[in-house]
Amino acid sequence: MNDSVLLKMERVSVGYGRHVVLSDIDLTLERGAFIGLIGANGSGKSTLLRTILGLLPALNGRMEFLSNGGKGPVLGFVPQRESLDPAFLVSGLEVVLMGTCGYVPPGRFFRRADKEWARHCLAQVGAFDLASRRFSELSGGQKQRILIARALATKPDFLLLDEPTTGIDAATTRSILEVLGRLHEQQGLAILMVNHDIGAMRASVREVIWIHEGRLLRGPAADLLKREKIEEILGPSLN
Amino acid sequence: METILEIFDPSFLSRNSVYISLLVGFVVPLVGVYLVLRRVVFLGVALPQVSSCGIAFAFALQGWGWIPHAHDSAQERAIALAGSIVFTIGTILVLSVLERRGRGLIEGRTGLVYVMAGAWSILLLVKNPFGQHGMLELLRGEIIAVSTVDLLLTGGTFLPVVAGLVLFQKEFLLVSYDRDMAVSLKKHVMFWDSLLFAFIGLTISVSVMSVGPLVAFGFLLLPPLIAYQFARNTAQFLWLSSVIGGMAAVAGFAVAYAQDLPVGPTDLALLGILYVVTFLGRKGVELYRERRMRAATGA
Repeated sequence: MNDSVLLKMERVSVGYGRHVVLSDIDLTLERGAFIGLIGANGSGKSTLLRTILGLLPALNGRMEFLSNGGKGPVLGFVPQRESLDPAFLVSGLEVVLMGTCGYVPPGRFFRRADKEWARHCLAQVGAFDLASRRFSELSGGQKQRILIARALATKPDFLLLDEPTTGIDAATTRSILEVLGRLHEQQGLAILMVNHDIGAMRASVREVIWIHEGRLLRGPAADLLKREKIEEILGPSLN
Repeated sequence: METILEIFDPSFLSRNSVYISLLVGFVVPLVGVYLVLRRVVFLGVALPQVSSCGIAFAFALQGWGWIPHAHDSAQERAIALAGSIVFTIGTILVLSVLERRGRGLIEGRTGLVYVMAGAWSILLLVKNPFGQHGMLELLRGEIIAVSTVDLLLTGGTFLPVVAGLVLFQKEFLLVSYDRDMAVSLKKHVMFWDSLLFAFIGLTISVSVMSVGPLVAFGFLLLPPLIAYQFARNTAQFLWLSSVIGGMAAVAGFAVAYAQDLPVGPTDLALLGILYVVTFLGRKGVELYRERRMRAATGA
């Protein structure tokens, strides 16, 4: 087996209960890849992402994470920020510290080193000054940075993001994509980002997986997101 | 102040009642915080009712002759506590499993539990005058005749609950706030949820035995609602709720003792007043700041 492979899916079906959303998927994700996952609403992007994360069981087929060290890779997850209840009185630092729960054992309090690591992750995404602010009171872009910092705090091998730029203005979207690009470049972090913003994808990712009519189309972002190629996939309805 | 010194005097006749009020005041809000955060406050109404139903069931078992009659009050309370714990923890675990499966309306189920528990409490006691007498004392929230055994039982139950809430705060917060994240970190969400709900159920069972369902619900809800207005993070929310509950328990006991009122309802009345005062005060400060800002910007 190739050492560079991180995830291998063979004839996997994903869905909810008995409802199959995508069937017979064959997919291989490599270490250090920066992949965008796009598709229309309801095409199965989030279902696929949730299956990879282990939040939904694969309905059938074989899914395997491959790791160099024998242990499975650590998954850093950035959920849609609206999924988090604003009733919780959590500060930016508390949210990021949640990311350390994967390796800080139950019954052990957070130590100074854990808090420093969380602050370091905040600094990496340009959100150091948001540590003591209440998470629910932050803007969409600020929340997104905190959630990316939380995913980094898990010390991930693989970063998975669900619609990180939805509902965020263009300038903030650009800066969030820059942060992701920098993490990918500097740390060689494998990233899978669900997004329906083709412009944002074109500007950031290397490779694209496009879910269209139950099929996975895959190719370099520069090719698959060309206007002619998009027209070819979507047909004359594009206009 | 004199009354407070008097009730804390070691020779004070009802000192056990003071201590049990303090325990309930400090500990019950700690689990109430999670009911508020997880938006299942209605569970805080239903579970004390379920606990009462468990106590009524324990009394009924004696009335029907299924278990031997208790010969002293300690034995009687032990049987009642067993009924309370079995019913409360059983119900909360079933409700939490159904909540996780996401089927049906949570509020609807909780309402059904509340109504059924209330109805069955009455039906089980209606032909059991001995049990009726005991339940009436509980429902009134009288915290006067507390034995040392009761006090030790309450303290002995609350101690591991508080220790667990402190030690596993990060796990409870994670599974309550972001279940998906917890799963992706390979946390056993069902285990942590069940443990949290077991702590909540245990606390409610014991506090209903000590102070009655109404007062137990009041301490579950009111201190966290007051603290929520001022806390900036979860740790602050927890300790502030606990301190407010504890202070209200002391003040309520002193007022009730001085004015010859029932302790539980006095505690709740004080907490209610505190909630209204803090709410209006906070709104007033916000309004004042807003006006000053408008004046400064010339808007």
